[in-house]
Amino acid sequence: MTITQSDLEIVRSAVAAVKDPEYPDLTIEQLGILENLVVEGSSIRVDLVPTILGCPALNTIEQDVKAAARRLGHEVAVRFCLSPVWTPERISDDAQQILADEYTIAISPRSGRTRCPLCGARSLEKRSDVGPTACRSVYWCAECRNPIEVVRSREVPAQ
Amino acid sequence: MRTWNSMEEFEEFLDAGGVVEPNDAMPETYRNAVFRFIELHANSEYMGGLTERDWIPKAPGMHRKLTALAKTQDEIGHAHLLYMVAADLQIKTREEMMVDLLEGRTHFHNVFHYRVHSWTDQIAVAYLVDAAALASQQAVFKNCSYGPYKRILRRVIAEEGFHMRNGEEMMLLMARGTKTQHDMMQESINRWWLPAVQLFGPDSRPGDELLKWHIKSERNEILRDRYVQKFVPQLLNGGFTIPDPGLRQDPDDGKWKISEIDWEPLKKTMRNGGPDSARRIADARTAWQNADWVRRALDSSAELIA
Repeated sequence: MTITQSDLEIVRSAVAAVKDPEYPDLTIEQLGILENLVVEGSSIRVDLVPTILGCPALNTIEQDVKAAARRLGHEVAVRFCLSPVWTPERISDDAQQILADEYTIAISPRSGRTRCPLCGARSLEKRSDVGPTACRSVYWCAECRNPIEVVRSREVPAQ
Repeated sequence: MRTWNSMEEFEEFLDAGGVVEPNDAMPETYRNAVFRFIELHANSEYMGGLTERDWIPKAPGMHRKLTALAKTQDEIGHAHLLYMVAADLQIKTREEMMVDLLEGRTHFHNVFHYRVHSWTDQIAVAYLVDAAALASQQAVFKNCSYGPYKRILRRVIAEEGFHMRNGEEMMLLMARGTKTQHDMMQESINRWWLPAVQLFGPDSRPGDELLKWHIKSERNEILRDRYVQKFVPQLLNGGFTIPDPGLRQDPDDGKWKISEIDWEPLKKTMRNGGPDSARRIADARTAWQNADWVRRALDSSAELIA
């Protein structure tokens, strides 16, 4: 069977709606994990960019992506890409807002200081490089006295 | 900073769904109750993390090792966040909480006072115990009156949901496995069913201050019953039996009823007198001592930078 453009689009929207196992309110597209869908002969390959290579949720994400495509009658292959490298900037603006409002999780900006997602203070004190998950650091906001988790940004190696 | 003129006024604020923040002038009795509750939760995450850690080298296969590693990180990370919020209540420092835990002066959840004998025990913990812990955390989160704790719970629940899914997946694998695997899983269910059901504790007392002050939002017996209604059919569907000879299904409403629970052994367990309590606490103490040089190195490098 040949994959048409409309097949690809239908599968893409189903795969894009797959929820992240650790942030059940957010999709893998919003988190910037979904990179691309590629037609390979008579099947579709889904390219995903893991937030962290050792992420334990990768198997679960792969299963969920395959199941979402299967519901539409498509078997897809999943590939985790080593490049591009995932960075917090890949998280969509609306998802960044949900992370801040619902999860008290901040994204470190490319320049300037990270602000407390609760009270807006700029004086977060770092308490640990790594928090409950390897992709977040732990800070303390001395203003509103809450622990704040910040999605870690990483140096992107030169291409 | 908000202040309240009387306990009645404070309780009206809580009943109306008010959320207390650290800078508020909260009544000391409330501060103490919130502190004790969060300290127990933090201790339990910490002890749970150490149990999980024991399974990193023993987990079968790379993927299971990765999961065990990530779960260990989750639990210790949750403990860290909770200890930060508990210490901020200015009743004990984090160091004091750690020392109290390691000296056996404070407590942690019943489920971490038993020995994990086998890999299927570890699956039973992930499937039955994590689900019970998650159900009780969800009930606290729903209506929790202490802001910083509620915010941590939001993330803890999201992460524990992932653990539970993992436990369920491993349990189903065993359920569909060989007879030996199925039997092993059954043995582990026999060991862990009662501790999981007991995690919710005895029936809530009338006038329980945790409920009155909306630190908890649901009575223990309601949570326990909901858990039983969900897990009895799941286990039966997996071809397992429930280790409770008195278990019966009400012919009228179809609800599952478990035998009366004898709470006396649980009371002893919760006072650190459970079957594996002494070894667990000693193990935690060793882990703490072994990491002493890391803490000293961090402290002295912080001093150098300052």
